[in-house]
Amino acid sequence: MSDAAPRTALWDGPTRLFHWALVALILTAWLSAGKSMEVHKLSGYAVLGLVVFRLWWGVAGGSTARFVSFLKGPKATLAYAAGLGSRKSGETAGHNPLGAWSVVAMIALIAVQAGLGLFATDIDGIESGPLSDKVDFDTGRLFSDWHELAFRLLQGLIGLHLVAIAFYAVWKRENLIGAMITGARRFGTAVTPLKKAPLWSLVVGVLLAVVAAYAIAKGFRIKF
Amino acid sequence: MSSKFTKRPVALVLGLALSFAAVGGVAMAAVDAGKVITSRIDNYKKIGKAFKDINDGLKADAPDAKAIAAQAKTIKDLSGHIPSWFPKGTGPETGLKTRAKADIWTDWATFAASAKGLQTESAKLETIAKGGDIDAIKAQVKATGGACKTCHDKFRGPEIK
Repeated sequence: MSDAAPRTALWDGPTRLFHWALVALILTAWLSAGKSMEVHKLSGYAVLGLVVFRLWWGVAGGSTARFVSFLKGPKATLAYAAGLGSRKSGETAGHNPLGAWSVVAMIALIAVQAGLGLFATDIDGIESGPLSDKVDFDTGRLFSDWHELAFRLLQGLIGLHLVAIAFYAVWKRENLIGAMITGARRFGTAVTPLKKAPLWSLVVGVLLAVVAAYAIAKGFRIKF
Repeated sequence: MSSKFTKRPVALVLGLALSFAAVGGVAMAAVDAGKVITSRIDNYKKIGKAFKDINDGLKADAPDAKAIAAQAKTIKDLSGHIPSWFPKGTGPETGLKTRAKADIWTDWATFAASAKGLQTESAKLETIAKGGDIDAIKAQVKATGGACKTCHDKFRGPEIK
C-alpha cells in the first residue's frame, strides 16, 4: 500500500458511531449481567435500538453500509475466500464479501440474543425482561439459558471478528481499525468512494431506533 | 385350645409389625437427603413462580392488586417453613446437587432470621397489596426481593449447570 495514495472515505459517521456504540453497549451489558440488572436492561434496549438503526441504514444509509452494496452470493464469497492467503490487499472500499457475511451474522445474532433477554427470568423471579409476563416461570428460565448460550456464540463471532482484523493488519497490512475510527484510509488502487446518505435518512433512522428501543423497554405497552 | 392358637399368631404378627414399624421409624428419622433436596428445590420454585407472577402483574397497565396479595400470601406461607426444608445432613456434604452452603448449619441463627425476614416482608407485601396502592406495592416488592437476596448472598452457592 502506497502512503502517497490519497485517503478515500469509506465509512460514514453514523456507521462508525453505530459500530463503536455497539461495542460499548455490549461490553456494558456483559459486565452488568447478573450484577446491575437495571443497567443491563437499559443497555440491552439500546443495543436493540442500534440494530433497528442499522437495518434502516442498511437500506437507506451511506453506500458502503447498504446490504445490496456488500452482500455477495456464494460464488463471489468463495472466490474471495480463496484469495485470503495472498498478501495482496483486497482493495474494496467497504465490506469484503466474507466480512459482509460476518457482519450479517453478528447483527442477526445480536438481535436474537438481546431479543431472548426480553422473555428471560432469573431463578428467583425477581429480575425479568419486559416481555417475561408472556411466558411462565419455567419457559422464562429457558429463555434465560438461551440468552446466555446465544451470548457465548456471540462472543465466538466477536472473537472471530477480532482475529480477522488482526489477520488483515499483520498479513495484508490493512489498518481496518483506523478506518472504522476516521472513516477513511489509503487504497493501493482506485476504489469507488463512499456516497453519503442524505440527512433526512439519518433523522428517520434515529427516530425509528429511539421509538423501537422505547417500545421494547415498555414491552410494547405504550399509551398515547 | 383353638382360641390360644389363633391368638398367638395374631400377637406374633402384631409384635413383628410393631418392631418393623420401629425399625422403619428409625430409618425414616435418618433423612433421605435426595428427597429433601428435591422437595426443597420445588418449594423454592413455588416462591420464584409467585414472585415472577407479582412482577409480571406489575407490568400491566392496571395491576391486579388482589392477585398480587394472593401471591404474597403464597410466599409468606411458604417462607414460614423454610427452616424445616433444611434438616441436618442435606447440605453440600451429601455430594448431591444442592446450592445450600454449609454455613446454613454452622450459622443457623442467622439463617433462620433471614428466612424470618422474608416472611415478615412478604406479610407486609400482602397487607400493602390488599390496600391497592401500586407505588407502595412496587416499593414493598423491592424490599421483599431484598429479603430473598439477603439470604441468597450468604447461604446460597453459585449456580450449578
